[in-house]
Amino acid sequence: MPSIESSLDRFLLQVEKPGRYVGGEYNSVVKDWREIDIKVALAFPDVYDLGMSNLGIMNLYNQVNLQPDMLAERVFSPWLDMEAVMRRADIPLYSLETKHAIRDFDLLGISLPYEQLYTNALNLLDLAGMPVLSRERDERHPLVIAGGHACYNPEPMADFIDAFVIGEGEEIIVEIAQLIGRMRGQSRDAQLREIARIQGMYVPRFYDVEYHDDGTIRSVLPNTPDLPARVLKRIVVTLPKPFTKFIVPNIDTVHNRAPIEIMRGCTRGCRFCHAGMVTRPVRERPVAEIMAAIDEIVRHTGFEEISLLSLSSSDYAWVEQLAEEVNREYKDAGLSLSLPSLRIESASADLLEKIGGTRRSGFTFAPEAATEKMRDLINKYVPDDQVIQTAREVYSRGWRTIKFYFMIGHPEETLEDVQAIVDLCLRTLNEGTKILGKKATLNVGVSTFIPKPHTPFQWVPQDTRASVNAKLALLKRQLRRGGMHLRWNNFDDSEFEGWLSRGDRRLGRVIRRAWELGCKFDAWQDQHRHDLWLRAFEECHLDPDFYNDRERGLDEVFPWDHIDAALRKKFLLDDYLMSIRRETRVDCRDKCFACGILPKFAKERSNTEDLAWECPPVTPISQRRASQQDTIPLSAIG
Amino acid sequence: MSHVSPVVQRLRITFGKAGPLKYTSSLDVAKIWERLLRRAELPLLYTQGFNTRPRIQLAMPLPLGISSECEILDISLRERIDFVERDLTEQLLAVSPQGLTIEAIDEVDVRASALHSRVESAEYRIRFADGISRDALRQKIEGIMSRETIIVERKRKRKRSVMDVRPLIVALHIDEDEDLIAHLSVGDRGNMRPDHLIELLGLDDRHHSIHRFKLHLLPA
Repeated sequence: MPSIESSLDRFLLQVEKPGRYVGGEYNSVVKDWREIDIKVALAFPDVYDLGMSNLGIMNLYNQVNLQPDMLAERVFSPWLDMEAVMRRADIPLYSLETKHAIRDFDLLGISLPYEQLYTNALNLLDLAGMPVLSRERDERHPLVIAGGHACYNPEPMADFIDAFVIGEGEEIIVEIAQLIGRMRGQSRDAQLREIARIQGMYVPRFYDVEYHDDGTIRSVLPNTPDLPARVLKRIVVTLPKPFTKFIVPNIDTVHNRAPIEIMRGCTRGCRFCHAGMVTRPVRERPVAEIMAAIDEIVRHTGFEEISLLSLSSSDYAWVEQLAEEVNREYKDAGLSLSLPSLRIESASADLLEKIGGTRRSGFTFAPEAATEKMRDLINKYVPDDQVIQTAREVYSRGWRTIKFYFMIGHPEETLEDVQAIVDLCLRTLNEGTKILGKKATLNVGVSTFIPKPHTPFQWVPQDTRASVNAKLALLKRQLRRGGMHLRWNNFDDSEFEGWLSRGDRRLGRVIRRAWELGCKFDAWQDQHRHDLWLRAFEECHLDPDFYNDRERGLDEVFPWDHIDAALRKKFLLDDYLMSIRRETRVDCRDKCFACGILPKFAKERSNTEDLAWECPPVTPISQRRASQQDTIPLSAIG
Repeated sequence: MSHVSPVVQRLRITFGKAGPLKYTSSLDVAKIWERLLRRAELPLLYTQGFNTRPRIQLAMPLPLGISSECEILDISLRERIDFVERDLTEQLLAVSPQGLTIEAIDEVDVRASALHSRVESAEYRIRFADGISRDALRQKIEGIMSRETIIVERKRKRKRSVMDVRPLIVALHIDEDEDLIAHLSVGDRGNMRPDHLIELLGLDDRHHSIHRFKLHLLPA
């Protein structure tokens, strides 16, 4: 049989962007396959151009390759043209670094940050020449694990993935690889039994799901002794040093810049926000660490653009100092820095001016809602005047474009609330026109709210097609004018994401059937085949509306309840009930609402410096008695 | 305002593209060089404006999928460097992606005219992976070379035009390795892509690899 490499040379010029499939980039790590014991393939189930911008994959790549007895290589989804070539020419899915078949690796880690990648994950397994069902694979196949934010509800993918990483993967990936190396040759079941004992690992085959007659869940219970009833997520106590040796792609990619995570987690408590709930506690990097990372990235990669990432940059404790230092060091260095996710306040204009790099990315703000009622309901409060004042500040400094993000479809939202979005946008652009004339533009992105697991809105029904389309029609009608650009999601895409977000294990059949029918690249609007998904539901005798349109009972057992994101269900429920009463909660740095993080990670917290987490420090009871000033007693939290 | 050029030194780097890098387009090769030169910490001169970029210039775009040992890049520096003394070749190779080779580095006059305007023709080595008989290939070559005109239809921006491409084929011969050596015009005065030649020869269904080994420049 010809080697993968020589086959590739024959076919690559028949496909679009062949540079996606060849590797060889600067900073890619190529180790001697024969010398290394444990081989890990890391997959992002979408095209190279997208996957290469994923910081999570890069972090894991780095952690594994740092181990002298391990190698990590990358694999992405081949685009349709390349898939056709591979299937026709019998080229198995292979790694970019050494062009080895994925089947020859010990471990395949699939990144699943969002649900639209599920069919692609199945397709990757199939292209690798493996059965897609976990039950049909054994120790002769690589162990297939998955991680990423979508895995906080692993159930829809439980049939296909051997084990899920719940939470943060930087440390656990190495532990699993070690275990697989140690247990080579033993049965897959025995390997998985050991893996299930690692804190943060969920092995679906050891948990049985029982249903009520109405399709809701009676229980999810371990069927194997010694396994926890709930799998607690894994966290890293302090963020590992930022990765700086980014692979420099040889072809253009979606982001094509280096990211630095300046902070993980968020204290704001927006009720719709999945990331804000599951990434707790908030951990921040020292400014010096970020500055050193910028310097290293420039030297190691030559990237001209660096993005300072977090869920809410204005909340990074030392954001002003960071902006000052960046300004001092890199003002004239031909380097563009961006600081997305800023709060809507005039201070943000100052920050961005100092950081620079905004000429390219512009100002992006997310007011999310435009009436007091909706802002209280979602717990994201930004008064209109503050929005207008910030816009004035930005336009008057000569920036022509502002981008706003809104979300429609929240519980209890009416057309009046959507009309308020229109009014606010018009007022904002009007401010811009006063200052810049016709040069002022406002880009408005409107997404549709999708209730997510582990959030206070996990009980609510998703907004209906008729309602969302009426709201979109209103926006399209009134925001179509000079200087205004509106972007929105199709309802089909939102509906689809909704099914999978709060889906149960039965959806595995639907996902498999949809994939068999030809569904893939569901994240691509022009590829998503809603009709085929509906057909798959029908063939599997499941009602899609069960997942989206139902108001869930307050005492309902959810498919993801045995996954412990360290948030007490009572905390989420209280917050949901508060939202119905239009009550808000302040930033939890000002008052701890006992979400559950502290008692779950009390030991980790007490071993960490006070300033490293935004959660109140946990001090031993003896010391607490001695000094009762600022610390919040554990009893108030548990 | 005086118009003294800020360019202190101009270097011409002759480089090659092999392996994975031949699947990178010319536009992306420019980006690779920008980042590579930044990693090498050379005193690059940047363009003015918001989207500032290093002042570098590539001679002649190479079609995707073709390897080369004769690509030319001019870079402008704001400080003079002794590129022999500091072994710039090694320094660049140390920060290069797989498949990039450095063939030569020369200093050129800072006022030398734009490179692309001086490229006249290029020579390619075309290898047919599954072999092809020498006689068959020779016949095909003679069939092309004996014609006085070769009129082809070209579509450019939805406009159809006919042109004679025969003058763009400077020479064709078969070398001792049974490879087809093609000398073709490139550049603004008439451009003949090697894959187009292979089509004219009726050999485009044969698996082949193309390597550009020489660029011919007009005198400065």
